[in-house]
Amino acid sequence: MSNTPNIQTIFFYILSEGLFATLALTALGLLIGFAIGLLLALMRVYGPTEIGWFASGYEKIFRGIPVLVLIFIFSFGIPGLFSYLEPLERPIAGVILALGLRSGAYQSQIFRGAILSVNPGQMEAARAIGMNGFQSFRHIVFPQALRLAVPSWSNEYAVVIKDSSFAYGVGIVEMTRVAFDIAANFPVLMPLSMAIVAILYLIFTYPVTKLFGERQTKKLKDFGMGGG
Amino acid sequence: MIFQVLPQELLDLLRVLEFWDHILIGLAKTMWLYVWALLFGFFLGLLLALLRHYGGRILSRIATGYVEIVRGTPLLIQLLFIYFLPFSINSFLDAQGLPFIPIGRWSIYVTSELFGRTMTMVFLDHITLMGILTLSLNSAAYQAEYLRGAVMSISSGQLEAAQSIGMSRRSGILHIVLPQALRRVIPSWSNEAAYLPKYTVVVFYIGLTELFAQAHYIISETFLTLSVYIVVALIFLVIITLISKSLDILYKRTAIPGL
Amino acid sequence: MEKNVLNVVDVWKAYDELEVLKGVSFELAKREVKVIFGPSGSGKSTLLRCINMLTPPDKGEIYLSGQNLIAPGVDLNAMRAKIGMVFQHFNLFSHLKAIDNVSVGLRRVKGFTKEDARAKALDALHQVKMAEWAEHYPAQLSGGQQQRVGIARALAMKPDLILFDEPTSALDPELIGEVLQVMLEIAKAGTTMVVVTHEMGFARAVASEMIFLDQGVVIERGTPEHFFVSPETERVKHFLRQINILYGHHEELLKEFNED
Repeated sequence: MSNTPNIQTIFFYILSEGLFATLALTALGLLIGFAIGLLLALMRVYGPTEIGWFASGYEKIFRGIPVLVLIFIFSFGIPGLFSYLEPLERPIAGVILALGLRSGAYQSQIFRGAILSVNPGQMEAARAIGMNGFQSFRHIVFPQALRLAVPSWSNEYAVVIKDSSFAYGVGIVEMTRVAFDIAANFPVLMPLSMAIVAILYLIFTYPVTKLFGERQTKKLKDFGMGGG
Repeated sequence: MIFQVLPQELLDLLRVLEFWDHILIGLAKTMWLYVWALLFGFFLGLLLALLRHYGGRILSRIATGYVEIVRGTPLLIQLLFIYFLPFSINSFLDAQGLPFIPIGRWSIYVTSELFGRTMTMVFLDHITLMGILTLSLNSAAYQAEYLRGAVMSISSGQLEAAQSIGMSRRSGILHIVLPQALRRVIPSWSNEAAYLPKYTVVVFYIGLTELFAQAHYIISETFLTLSVYIVVALIFLVIITLISKSLDILYKRTAIPGL
Repeated sequence: MEKNVLNVVDVWKAYDELEVLKGVSFELAKREVKVIFGPSGSGKSTLLRCINMLTPPDKGEIYLSGQNLIAPGVDLNAMRAKIGMVFQHFNLFSHLKAIDNVSVGLRRVKGFTKEDARAKALDALHQVKMAEWAEHYPAQLSGGQQQRVGIARALAMKPDLILFDEPTSALDPELIGEVLQVMLEIAKAGTTMVVVTHEMGFARAVASEMIFLDQGVVIERGTPEHFFVSPETERVKHFLRQINILYGHHEELLKEFNED
């Protein structure tokens, strides 16, 4: 780029070069987090006490370590990790793993809270018509728990997409990295570039949290939708 | 002889701990940033919460806008934005022929010697200021949410009763609503207070030598990447647990029946 | 006009489209006890909140001892210190003990010293028979006890008049008596009161005038005897019939009281 970039070029450059990476990192991180979180929540709610401690311990550890540190640990810290990948691809896997492990700790709390919020009478009624434990959970408790979890989960989505910006420092080209690189040669434009990418992040967080956040789901509950 | 029996990981750990002075200084810096960010974030957050709940249409909208924007954008972006802002402003002012904001290399620091190691703790310089500023502005938005929730949970009858005996609205908010709201907010506020140290690592990206940055120095000297990161991670875990437990005790000590 | 403690003149109030008060007027002289009653939604609570300007009226005037509260530049806080209010849901300050609930106004609004305020507060608590509970928090008190502290809080400010907004409606039946007892005593002692209530027995015992309010309009007004012997309007008759079925059980309390 020989000439100074203007607002439009910055905007479209960030979108075209960085958006996909950001969304991919976020989606995969949330997915791994979902699997881990659900598993841990089930362990804490339905499992024996010792397993519950393990799950609780996992939560404490991955909530207490800064996500940036986690990213560095899994991208550069463990020799031999992801050795089957190309060196350039390893940080990507590292970031996804870090985001996933961290999100798992938070989603575990979300699902645990949601499952416990479902009226115990529901489980009783399911058993009363002859369903076994697994069926009652899968068909009766789980669907309701999912609905109850929506507000907190939309918040978690926002957190993960913001955390994906930390991948900037390990060589992954996502939105923040692009925004930085564009203005790297023109420090004067840095705040502008940052403001533009900030707007992009807002576009992906604000509508979601507004639509699926606390107040909206309360309104939906009034109409009979929603859990318990 | 003993050193041949100990497992490699333990030896690595001991090697890392040889750099205890760097770790100590890094930790001190992290806590320094944390405390100021929490404090400034609290007062700004309280102001925002009160503006959102009691302010007029314009003020409450501005406060809400601020909170939504800060909460909807990554901390890293906020940091880079604020850090580079003086440069932009200076270029603009320079072009207009106006004097610009000095971003000198100034520093307020303390050097001391402890157990044979010299350590320098910088209390305030340009990047520290930028770091504290960003963390405060960020934390304020999150604290504002908790505080607003607590203020909303105090029934409007309390303020009505205060006004009914002749207290002004301001006096009622200050002496009747706020004391109750502040006690109510402690559990959720403890969340923010306990986890805020985690977010201070972001200032690593503008060159502040807090704990994470020190970790990279140690890695460059020892190449024991994993061990160093694990030590750092453990330190964070310990700090967070300590803060969390202390706030729990505080909450139990200040409990009022019915509040 | 000065001889009246309160003059409510042609007050109108609407919430969005709904008109809640449509031209309500009445006067209140010193030592008078005025009872306002009527079906729910008739605007009774709104009327009280207009009097102490918590929700100012859209039209009309409120005169407190001759001073127009609607006029611009009036120090409303100082005016409110002269009007006491007792709330349906008590609204005691939950973070303060009973004694502090009563003394906080004396300290912060009237500027008494801590010791002075505490002494006066204790007096007020004595009046409502809650002195031994002075160091308790509201959450540790029953509804009736809380309401009595609420009355003490209003009394301590030595107001020109006290407004009561359905003071016993949120109480369990067995606790209503203790609150009514206190209200009867302060009425007999000469307190100027405006009481919104369904407790017809109370009205019959101490009210100097009763006002029936329905849908924001004064339908009928008169002495208790007038209402209970020969009410004029059908609406009033209908309402009284329904009320008497509910509130007959305080007859014993009032019989005792009238025999003093």
